[in-house]
Amino acid sequence: MAIEVTVVRRPERNVSYLRASLKGMALTFQHLFRKKVTMQYPEEISEDEWSISPRWRGTHRMLTDEQGRARCVACGLCPQICPANCIKLVPGEDEEGNRYPLIYEIDEFRCVFCGYCQEVCPEEAIHVGVHYENAEYQRERFVYDLERLCAQTHPVSSLWDPADPRGE
Amino acid sequence: MLINHPLDCPICDQAGECELQNYVFREGRSQTRYTPRFSKRFDPVEDFGPDILYVANRCILCTRCVRFMDHVAEEAVISVSERGDRAFIGIHPERQLDHPWAGNVVDLCPVGSLISKDFLHKARAWEVDMTPSICTGCSQGCNVTIDTRSNAVVRLKPRVNMEVNRFFMCDQGRHSYRWMNKGDRIEVPLVKDNGGLVATDWEHALQRAAQAISGSGGRAVALVSAGASNEALFLTKQLFAGMELKSAFRVNKVDGEEPLPGVEGLALRAERAPNATGARCLGYSEEFDDALSAVDGAAVVFVLDEALDGVSMEHLGKAAQVIYVGTSLPECARGADVVLPVANAAEEDGSFTNRDSRVQRYAQAKTPPGMARPAWWVLGEIRAQLGDTEPFTGASQAFDALSESVSVFAGLSFDELGYEGRVAAQPSGAGVSP
Repeated sequence: MAIEVTVVRRPERNVSYLRASLKGMALTFQHLFRKKVTMQYPEEISEDEWSISPRWRGTHRMLTDEQGRARCVACGLCPQICPANCIKLVPGEDEEGNRYPLIYEIDEFRCVFCGYCQEVCPEEAIHVGVHYENAEYQRERFVYDLERLCAQTHPVSSLWDPADPRGE
Repeated sequence: MLINHPLDCPICDQAGECELQNYVFREGRSQTRYTPRFSKRFDPVEDFGPDILYVANRCILCTRCVRFMDHVAEEAVISVSERGDRAFIGIHPERQLDHPWAGNVVDLCPVGSLISKDFLHKARAWEVDMTPSICTGCSQGCNVTIDTRSNAVVRLKPRVNMEVNRFFMCDQGRHSYRWMNKGDRIEVPLVKDNGGLVATDWEHALQRAAQAISGSGGRAVALVSAGASNEALFLTKQLFAGMELKSAFRVNKVDGEEPLPGVEGLALRAERAPNATGARCLGYSEEFDDALSAVDGAAVVFVLDEALDGVSMEHLGKAAQVIYVGTSLPECARGADVVLPVANAAEEDGSFTNRDSRVQRYAQAKTPPGMARPAWWVLGEIRAQLGDTEPFTGASQAFDALSESVSVFAGLSFDELGYEGRVAAQPSGAGVSP
């Protein structure tokens, strides 16, 4: 038994694609004259329109003192607190008898960017940075040594909202 | 106390094991009441002796060090100088803190005022793993704690045992940990093949060793170290049960002892090996040269971690078979037929017998390099291949076998020994402390 097929006859203006196409094109042309929202990253970086939070936790930065030496005193708290075990620290003594890090390396691949190292640092030396551009050509370059950490210039994270320091 | 104490915990070596820090944490006052208007007293760091620095700023003037040097070491070279808030620990202008037991002031100091130069900046207190052990420096058998960090020994500290060393250990022992980290170790079992030593697996090497012993009809010579554990010394004897065996050890003896006057029966002993008494109890002779001359024409020579100083390769080659069981391979033993790598005293469980016949356990503090295994395991496996005994699964089993068959150790077990040790049933020929 053949299936009964009913062919519905609709008016021409309802089945024509012309109307829908024109409608779509109208919307497209409308957007051509609107303000652009796309940023041409990385050719143009517009800080004011797209800024990251001051609490952002990115790759590290070691702050330095007036003589340009790292503020770190190699107390060993950051390797201890680090949940990813990504900080390597070998303490030593300089000519003046001060304790300082002979080796201080952070493996940014292993790092989970929890910010505990910044929180625990008694000298406010190591910080997580407000920074996200970290591309490199070699994997080895992601182990940041002390020189590199000191040379970073990006702003450092505030970790908590200055307006609400207790996070309430 | 806190008015002049610097807040340099992050760089202080004592942080983490500082009594003052513990008290401050317990009392829980995180803010200081001393405003920066009062500047803290500052004195430079002083060099007190070969291994001791005095950081005057951190000193809380408890005078434990002064009293130790006066009453216990009986060499009062330090005292409290000046008065009131200018007081500090002063040292005799022409003397140094170089008494052989002076290192104990570093342990006694509750803060980081007296610090060890050797340990300075090496590790933080919370990073080290602590293992109870026995000092291998002399026959006194001081109880120590081995502190390791990333599988390397960083320091030795005395462990309280009122029967042996009370709270102290000598500087000689304290600094005798470096050999535990030495890198010149045998890492794989080696057997002689086509004239040279080649690396092999344990199964093959143990078979070769067992064959060398069982196939030899004739005199056997065992040259052992007085630094080997009771278990290893006992099992070495067992391997040659029923054979003609000449066995001997030698021990480095120096002239004179270095006693700690305030503690009776505690001294750095002349016999600089931890287990000479154990070797004597187990029937090893001290006629090392006799045993050495017996190597000529011996069917099998068994060396247990003896450094073989002054022995030539040719002399050792006069024996039909040479089995070398040790931590590092001396030049003269390169011609051995079987070389089996074993763990050193920091890398295995075991026991030593000190000069007062006190049997004391030590525990494994770090992992042995490569394929090296504890001597009790190696010797137990060879023993199992020779007879129909079961190999051991732990040092305590090896010790049980020892206590079953040697009357001196009768009735003792690892559980019985604990970490304080027990005096063996029969006092041996070795002198009891004065």
